[in-house]
Amino acid sequence: MFCVGGGILEDLAAFTVDYARGLGAEYAEARFQRDIQETVILKNGFPEAVVLEEKKGIGVRVLVDGALGFASTDNLTRKDVKNASSRAFKMARASSRIMHEKVSMDDSSLGNIKVEVNQRIGFDSVDIGSKIGLLKETYKLAVGEAAERNVKIPACSMTIDTWMTEKLVVSSDGAYVYSIIPRAAFSILMTAFHPQKGSAQRFFDLGGSGGWEIVEGWRLQSLIKKEAETLSEILLSAGKSPSGKMDVILGPELIGLICHESSGHPGEADRILGREAAQAGETYLKKNSIGLRVGSPLVNVVDDPTLDGSFGFYLYDDEGVKARKRTLIKEGVINEFLHNRETASVFGVKSNGSARASAFDREPIVRMANTYLEPGDYSVDELLEDVKEGVYIKSFMEWNIDDRRFNQRYVGLEAYRILNGEIKERIRNPILEVTTTGLWSSVDAVGRDLEFQAAYCGKGDPMQGIPVWTGGPHVRLREVILGDDK
Amino acid sequence: MRKDEIPSYVVDLALKKGATDAVTKIHDRQHVMIRFSNNEVTVSKFYDELTVDIFLMIRRRRAATTVPFYSARRLERTVEKLIKIARMTPPSELYAPLPEGPFSYDPRLLKGPKTSLSPDRLVGYVEEAINAALKEGAKKVAGTLNVAVEKTVLTTSGNVHASQERCTLDISVRAFTSDISSGHFVSISGSEDEFNSSEAGRIAGEIAVAASNPKSGESGRFTALLGPLIFADLISQVGILSSAFLVDIGRSFLVDKVGTQVACEKLSLIDDPTIADSYGARAFDDEGFPTRRNVIIEKGVLKGYLHNSITAKKYDVETTGNAGLISPHPWNLVVESGEKSFDELLAEIDRGIYVTNDWYLRYQNYRRGDFSTIPRDGIFLIRDGSIESSVRELRISDNMLRILKNIRDLSRTRRWIKWWEVNVPTLTPYAVIEDLNFTKSTM
Repeated sequence: MFCVGGGILEDLAAFTVDYARGLGAEYAEARFQRDIQETVILKNGFPEAVVLEEKKGIGVRVLVDGALGFASTDNLTRKDVKNASSRAFKMARASSRIMHEKVSMDDSSLGNIKVEVNQRIGFDSVDIGSKIGLLKETYKLAVGEAAERNVKIPACSMTIDTWMTEKLVVSSDGAYVYSIIPRAAFSILMTAFHPQKGSAQRFFDLGGSGGWEIVEGWRLQSLIKKEAETLSEILLSAGKSPSGKMDVILGPELIGLICHESSGHPGEADRILGREAAQAGETYLKKNSIGLRVGSPLVNVVDDPTLDGSFGFYLYDDEGVKARKRTLIKEGVINEFLHNRETASVFGVKSNGSARASAFDREPIVRMANTYLEPGDYSVDELLEDVKEGVYIKSFMEWNIDDRRFNQRYVGLEAYRILNGEIKERIRNPILEVTTTGLWSSVDAVGRDLEFQAAYCGKGDPMQGIPVWTGGPHVRLREVILGDDK
Repeated sequence: MRKDEIPSYVVDLALKKGATDAVTKIHDRQHVMIRFSNNEVTVSKFYDELTVDIFLMIRRRRAATTVPFYSARRLERTVEKLIKIARMTPPSELYAPLPEGPFSYDPRLLKGPKTSLSPDRLVGYVEEAINAALKEGAKKVAGTLNVAVEKTVLTTSGNVHASQERCTLDISVRAFTSDISSGHFVSISGSEDEFNSSEAGRIAGEIAVAASNPKSGESGRFTALLGPLIFADLISQVGILSSAFLVDIGRSFLVDKVGTQVACEKLSLIDDPTIADSYGARAFDDEGFPTRRNVIIEKGVLKGYLHNSITAKKYDVETTGNAGLISPHPWNLVVESGEKSFDELLAEIDRGIYVTNDWYLRYQNYRRGDFSTIPRDGIFLIRDGSIESSVRELRISDNMLRILKNIRDLSRTRRWIKWWEVNVPTLTPYAVIEDLNFTKSTM
């Protein structure tokens, strides 16, 4: 057995698994997880508070008579993990009496490895004063930029989160994976206001895995200054959006979201099996949808946890399965679902390493990591030049999708009219309200650029918010119908 | 050290090390969740949590943490670290000392009823819900059961030492008659006596059967009859976004609206954590201040925001007992009932849509209140005062303030709602909304 350090933690995890097996569990898994997070909040130019959070404990998952039980404890003693194991065992055994389809785990090969993401600049080497100073300076620049246009920023909240996730996954069938992944994230909600024009708002996240160098790489001051300028200009000059049938070019921010919502979520195998039916819902896809055409041959949507520096980065999942790139849609056709070991067993395939848990007290479920549309071969100018009359949507605020992941709506924020291949004036709130197949089938050209955005994907009960990237290139949609502004 | 002694130990320590104000809360909670789908249990989960929340101020400098309890020594190191961070932090906008106690609390709220966490008993609740939905004609049933017992002990430097024990039970049941026809309902309570899992299953099943064979709905403006699940989602937005903190950061359509008519006169919304044995009952807030019945909207007029001490100072009012140490929040929302029955409300609609549930509510602009959300589960076309047929694939795309002003009527009957989409327990009637904008996919 690979030994991370021969320490107490490894012994405790192994003890937990052995103890649960001794109770009679067919399968047992112990996951130690520690998340240490620091959040710096700046509200309207003033620091609100610095918040530290530490979550540490062991989650135990057992399979008893085909029923799954899960329990967790934040007391890392043999007595407490024995209690947690017994609780999980008893809950599973009680549930087994109303089980018709027995749960089992697939026979994926499991990792025996240590994974560590290094920080070039450690989070601790940057003091709190500097972090708050960065946000304050950023805020000042944004307010100044808006003021040059006689626009006020009456409200602006910004946060920088830095955190470290340490995990050890041990299972009764051989998984032994230790990992440390540091992450950093930035989030902003900014309001621009003008007495005659009203208000406009912009919200977005940035995120990645690594050290403070990620934050430095965002160049927050110039980025947010530019955002304040754009938001002010939207407020001052955006005109009514056209509606009706036309060509639409979507930027990477929207394409990434669309990939996540209408390709990633519907392809989660636990949804297909109905496991999320009462919460985030089901999916329009069925168990036999592999091979179903849902878009034009230019559409290739992938999910890849192994992207260096990504927000959704991991190399082994929380069941100990090696992560890999998953091609969800290949040339417009459903190619692969996202699986953990439980769903893979039902589908008769191997897990593709999609099991993630957000904390020690959450069980691993099927999740995305970094979902994006693979680039094509058009430059942005080439995408534009063939549009006689249309709209370019660069960013968004409002969006949602039904719980079968088929009917969705995206309302643009930064958007422009296109006339004879050129970007013209700003327009306000263009509405794209379409079906999943309607949208992907209308793709007629894909850019060669590629950008990612950070997001927190919500799923599960209790809710498990997990870091992900979404992304893609610019994309042209032919003859889609834009809705009327309400 | 006994668990109950942790808060006062930490507060004393923080003051000794230089804090001007300190709060410590322990949250000792045992929680069982059973998730079910396809008429069987997906997974059963048991959580045993003991967390320590510490918040301290050195006048305008603030730091906070949530940590597990390991030992007194570890807590001491945590306090030292927080003090160091607070000292390094530039000052906040203002300083408000913590409320000065001691306070007297409503004894009915300090010790609520107990409940059992026996696995067999809890699986029994799930079986009852599934069977009730199947009996109505549902083909498959999914949902979540949560049962928790918890004790909160809180000490502040404002001479407060308080503890509260309570239990909560909730079940959310979604029943299906096909992939595209479903019904959803819940039961929530702060006591076993009021908890009724089989009724939640029965109503979910009943809606699912009525929703069978839905046709594609038509977009346009309709008079809408909103069931308790969707109206709770909309109205809890009003409660949540009445937090003075969210107003301050522009994340609210209630900015600059205090004292103005924001809704129809028939709407009164109260945050009332003083209802004993209710799901959101609370004796004190996170600053140890006694909770109270706060009127948010009275006959359509916004009476005020929800506050902790810091936001209250900024707005030059008293705290409302809704701390949240950083952001105030509602505990237990109550919409005052109307006078008509569900049948009477239905009978008065010539052409409309009855929506039983929704999910995925997102704003284009919080400050303006422009948003959309997706009706799900039973959606029905109303013609001449009766339900005509089941429809699907519609979206509500409108403005929150416009909806509040367009409330035509509220029902006598009310239901407590809380589930995955509605975070704050909300007692809500059915509501009739005039001229609600429905949109649908264009291709």
